[in-house]
Amino acid sequence: MRINKDMKMAEVIHLNHHLLPVLNRFDIHLGFGERSVETVCLDNKVNVDFFLEIVNTFHDASYFPVRHLQSFKASMLIEYLQKTHAYYLEFKIPEIGKYIHQITHDENMQSTHKKLLNDFFDNYQQELTTHINKEEQRVYPYVIKLENTLNNVNASLEELKALKKYSIHEYEEDHDDVEAKLFDLKNIIIKYLPPSQNNRLLHVILHDIFELERDLNNHGHIEDLILVPIVENMEKLLSERLNKLSYNA
Amino acid sequence: MRNRLCILLIEPSFLIREGIKTLLSNLGHPYRMEEIDAPVNDLEKLINKIHPSLVILNPMLTPKLITLPRDPENNFDPYYLGLIVNSTSAQVQSKFDSLLSVDAEKHELLKNMEKVLQQIGTTQNETESNTLSERELGILKLVALGNTNNEIAERLFISTHTVMTHRKNITRKLGIKTVSGLTVYAILNQHIKMEQIQGTE
Repeated sequence: MRINKDMKMAEVIHLNHHLLPVLNRFDIHLGFGERSVETVCLDNKVNVDFFLEIVNTFHDASYFPVRHLQSFKASMLIEYLQKTHAYYLEFKIPEIGKYIHQITHDENMQSTHKKLLNDFFDNYQQELTTHINKEEQRVYPYVIKLENTLNNVNASLEELKALKKYSIHEYEEDHDDVEAKLFDLKNIIIKYLPPSQNNRLLHVILHDIFELERDLNNHGHIEDLILVPIVENMEKLLSERLNKLSYNA
Repeated sequence: MRNRLCILLIEPSFLIREGIKTLLSNLGHPYRMEEIDAPVNDLEKLINKIHPSLVILNPMLTPKLITLPRDPENNFDPYYLGLIVNSTSAQVQSKFDSLLSVDAEKHELLKNMEKVLQQIGTTQNETESNTLSERELGILKLVALGNTNNEIAERLFISTHTVMTHRKNITRKLGIKTVSGLTVYAILNQHIKMEQIQGTE
């Protein structure tokens, strides 16, 4: 079912409660009453079309956003993606880390097994952090700069040329290993750790991992389906501007 | 995945196609499906491209066919399941390995579909066990200890390509993709000792 602007926001959450962290990224808080998606967005100064594309992409993995693509500012999208990163690094990963730490206090668990689980998770955390930092420090600033420069009608030939050195496709590296590690962690817990007294805690950890995995997949999806096309389009505009300028010069 | 059943579904009605999929997921067999909703002129070519083990076919979409293409000697022998209505002629019905009447009750549909899947299953998925072979176990240990594919190939006098094939099979059987994941597995199952990897990472 497609989420639209006339639905009540409360209904949206009943439809898919996994959207709760997404609302958080838009700074939209609970207590919707009978307000529609559109009203809630207006009240929170959120672009409703953008909001709908994000929640629908999240809600239905086969949904392909196209309608309003050109009308979104890249900076808007990047703000959302940065908030998603913050959610992983400041909330979700520390939360899973806390549970894993708790489990390693279990006296029934072999110390070797505790160390294995701890080290594996630490390793994953490091890789994810490195990956995220790379995007934040290199990819996003490039996109913002590209957008700002294009918006400046007086941008000089030098400024435009400087941007030409980069391309979004250079950054499109695979998230494969980071994804694979999370996948492995699930199977280590589900299949290979010997049965422990701490079943309940392990269930909580697994729940969290599945949730994180789903969110990460969606994050990658949004980058591929929304961000990359927007940037590709800007890069095309940049080439056109450059051609014109060099022709006039 | 090797054991996932490949199905070719040829049927014009969207509702019936969706119904078939619901039926299949009710039975819980994993499958991959190609759907065709228009008449098919060259069924043989289509099957050669897709290599389905089950073809679910509405005979109205292949009006010219007198016999259904089969060639067991060339590994070309799909199971044909006919989607029929009451008025389908006996002559058309006889071409199929089995029939599914779109007018039938749910329990009957489920029973027939189950039977079809069992018949294909017995000839096709001799499901291999998920335990590692001796060779795979040896390779797993070397991977877990931090050896590269090239090093393993040299050590065991096999090609790098063979090592990679073994590694793919190990990953498929265990559900573990990364080297560090395999190391954890190997230690948990006491194939190697924790001390052996100290200092390598």
